[in-house]
Amino acid sequence: MNTNLKISNVTKIYPGCVANDNVSLEFNSGKIYALLGENGAGKSTLVKILSGVIIPDEGKIYLNENNLKLNSPSDAKKNDIGMVFQHFNLFETLSVFENLIIDSDEQRESLREKIDTIMKKYNFSIDLDIPVLNLSAGQKQKVEIIRCLIRSPKVLIMDEPTSVLTEQETSELFLSLKKFSEEGILIIYITHKLKEVMQLCDEVAVMRRGKLVSVSEIKNENIESLANKMVGQNLKIIKKKKAKTSSDQLIKITNLNFTSEDPFETNLMDINFSVNRGECLGIAGISGNGQSELFQVLSGEIISEKNSIEFNNNYIGDLSPQERRGYLMAFSPEDRLEQAAIPQMKIFENVALNNFKSSNFFNNGLINENKIKEHSKKIISDFNVNTDNIELKSQFLSGGNLQKLIIGRELITSPDLLICFNPTWGLDVGAINYIHETLIRINEQNKSIILISTDTDELLKLSDKISVIHKGKLSKIMNAEEVTSEKLGILMGGAN
Amino acid sequence: MIKIVKRDQPSRAIFFFTPVLAIFLTLVAGGLIFFILGFKPFEALKFFFIVPIADKYGFSELLLKATPLCLIAIGLSFCFKSNNWNIGAEGQLTFGAIVSGGVALLFYEQEGFYILPIVILAGAIGGMLYASIPAILKTYFNTNEILVSLMLVYVSKLILDYLVVGPWSNPEGFNFPETRQFSDSAKLPLLFEGLRIHAGIFLALAAVVISWFVFYKTYLGFQMKVSGFSLKTAKYAGYKGKKMIILVFLISGACAGLAGVGEITGPIGQLHREISPDYGFTAIIVAFLGRLHPVGIIFASLVVAITYLGAETAQIFMQIPKYTGQVFQGMILFFLLASDYLLFFKIKFIGSKK
Repeated sequence: MNTNLKISNVTKIYPGCVANDNVSLEFNSGKIYALLGENGAGKSTLVKILSGVIIPDEGKIYLNENNLKLNSPSDAKKNDIGMVFQHFNLFETLSVFENLIIDSDEQRESLREKIDTIMKKYNFSIDLDIPVLNLSAGQKQKVEIIRCLIRSPKVLIMDEPTSVLTEQETSELFLSLKKFSEEGILIIYITHKLKEVMQLCDEVAVMRRGKLVSVSEIKNENIESLANKMVGQNLKIIKKKKAKTSSDQLIKITNLNFTSEDPFETNLMDINFSVNRGECLGIAGISGNGQSELFQVLSGEIISEKNSIEFNNNYIGDLSPQERRGYLMAFSPEDRLEQAAIPQMKIFENVALNNFKSSNFFNNGLINENKIKEHSKKIISDFNVNTDNIELKSQFLSGGNLQKLIIGRELITSPDLLICFNPTWGLDVGAINYIHETLIRINEQNKSIILISTDTDELLKLSDKISVIHKGKLSKIMNAEEVTSEKLGILMGGAN
Repeated sequence: MIKIVKRDQPSRAIFFFTPVLAIFLTLVAGGLIFFILGFKPFEALKFFFIVPIADKYGFSELLLKATPLCLIAIGLSFCFKSNNWNIGAEGQLTFGAIVSGGVALLFYEQEGFYILPIVILAGAIGGMLYASIPAILKTYFNTNEILVSLMLVYVSKLILDYLVVGPWSNPEGFNFPETRQFSDSAKLPLLFEGLRIHAGIFLALAAVVISWFVFYKTYLGFQMKVSGFSLKTAKYAGYKGKKMIILVFLISGACAGLAGVGEITGPIGQLHREISPDYGFTAIIVAFLGRLHPVGIIFASLVVAITYLGAETAQIFMQIPKYTGQVFQGMILFFLLASDYLLFFKIKFIGSKK
């Protein structure tokens, strides 16, 4: 039976922003729909309205001509709308089976049979009786999907499902989604990744600033056209020129180990690599495989053996971040709001967090506020931070502007090496482009970068050499031209 | 209909308004309690808050009580600003008093201008030594400073108990649990004839000025601010976290120790069991009521000092226990924490929805 889902004139207004502005869309089963947009474009709001989490201010939703009243997530379930969120809603310590039966009133035995049938049908192989915490991200997602399938939904909504998956897991997911679609389930796929839209979907709806910009068939689109619709301007596609091969070694890591007392951290085992001047070394991996620990060891937040890190012919493994800055290293951590900056402090105060000797922010223990402010103004203008008020608390900067401020703060004293960790995480395409340009530019100035990132496309675009971190171990270092995202995916999954 | 809405940013006006609101609510609730107890609320509040400071003597007493509160609260704000929870100022006060008292007793019946500075210094060092225990345990063994500093309060009180009953008790004192009176050279000079207010107030004022300078003008103050917001950021910035923890505890201990010196070399003049009516604990309330700001702490210490005086007057004139003072202190903290909700949320009155 055909399913028809209609969104009619939906509007949702938050104080200071229109999240959904009179959006109307129609979906029919048998096709896979992409809902495409940048962060803050309003796609999550729309999806939350469909799943009953948010109630719209205006507008109606029809499923097969029936007007749905979706006042809570359970209303959505009752109306056969299934939803898999970006962040999993699973109880880690309960078994897979317990997680699946938790919101169902069916008999355990019949449910188990039902689950077995579903798993066989779609070639899922998950042990139902092990605790969820032993599962990989891809398996956890399958559990979430099974939880939806149990209710034989008419509509299945997937919210940014691939952000935690490897390349292989992603293609498995796509196969399953195509199968569901063939069986008549209407699939709505939310993403900001253009490549996936091209691979998977039949039709694409693009949203920008709360408005529906276009609905079109995939065969009439390509990556550039979609990107332009999404951003609303013509983006120039930046490409990195191949670095001049330099043999001038800047940093060398030798036999570096880190054993954590915290069971939630990853131990680093026998890390060895080196980076030459003007080079960008990319470190790929699925998040939680030791990237955070590696960043901290490199930045000096975690002290290691003196000889394990050689920078510019000095052994610096036992130095603090502040002392390492003295040797012209700079660091941009992953967490903008909790580590790299303090949202409650003013912009110029955040600039003073990174106290290079040459910047003279503090003389004889006293704050040199004029110097800091002067410096801050320079960063704001040099790095396109969209404000002219350095007294502004940095919580009022958008993610992109805050990241520009952080990168600017790190780069303005022109360090020899920048170590950055997921520098474009959660940013909109415009800001990502700007950050990428900046990183390419400093490579051209013969400065080096260590780029730890979970975004494979970013790594392939910016790196000269790439290595993959898996469970605290680094793969061999490869030249970026020889690497494909498929190959990275295999390494990220732990195979050789 | 009333609706509660999250604020986009904490309001700066509200930040300084909530302490005033908290005091007002405390007065209302206090009046209510007096009413339930069968007193006329306004008269009772008058006895509590106005009568005690209506004359010159009363005002001097107010400053006398506010001095240690202010001094300790200033010290504590160094800790609290940088995310270190020193709850044991009472213990640091007691230990500071023990050390300085011991030194004062060494100079028994001696005269000399040099004696008082030595006694004061000894008190500060005593407080610092005592505060260094939770600080060192925290930095090197990851212990929780709240528990350690709190438990050490009782240890210091027992040490004091032992000393005044045993080795240090006055030989001519008929076994009363107290030491000899200190010589005049070991006592803080009184400021006015016939009033108890003493030179210790200058220590408190100096602490206010110095702390303001440190908080807002120095690298140390900046580091404390950053650590207070996010320890992860402090680590990333490369601040020497351990050094700072120890430093702020030492400053805080020194202030508490000085407050102890002020008590025993000022109004008391000897060591005995009850040298402090829990100034060290009450100062925690003062620090937060004053928003960890030096000027705010001056006002907060005056307000809270009244509750001590008011409790005494109320006991005399209305025959209610002096512990009412603590009830009021508790209420101030309670209402302050409650009204801090307004920092992040605002209440909107809106017409009923269609």
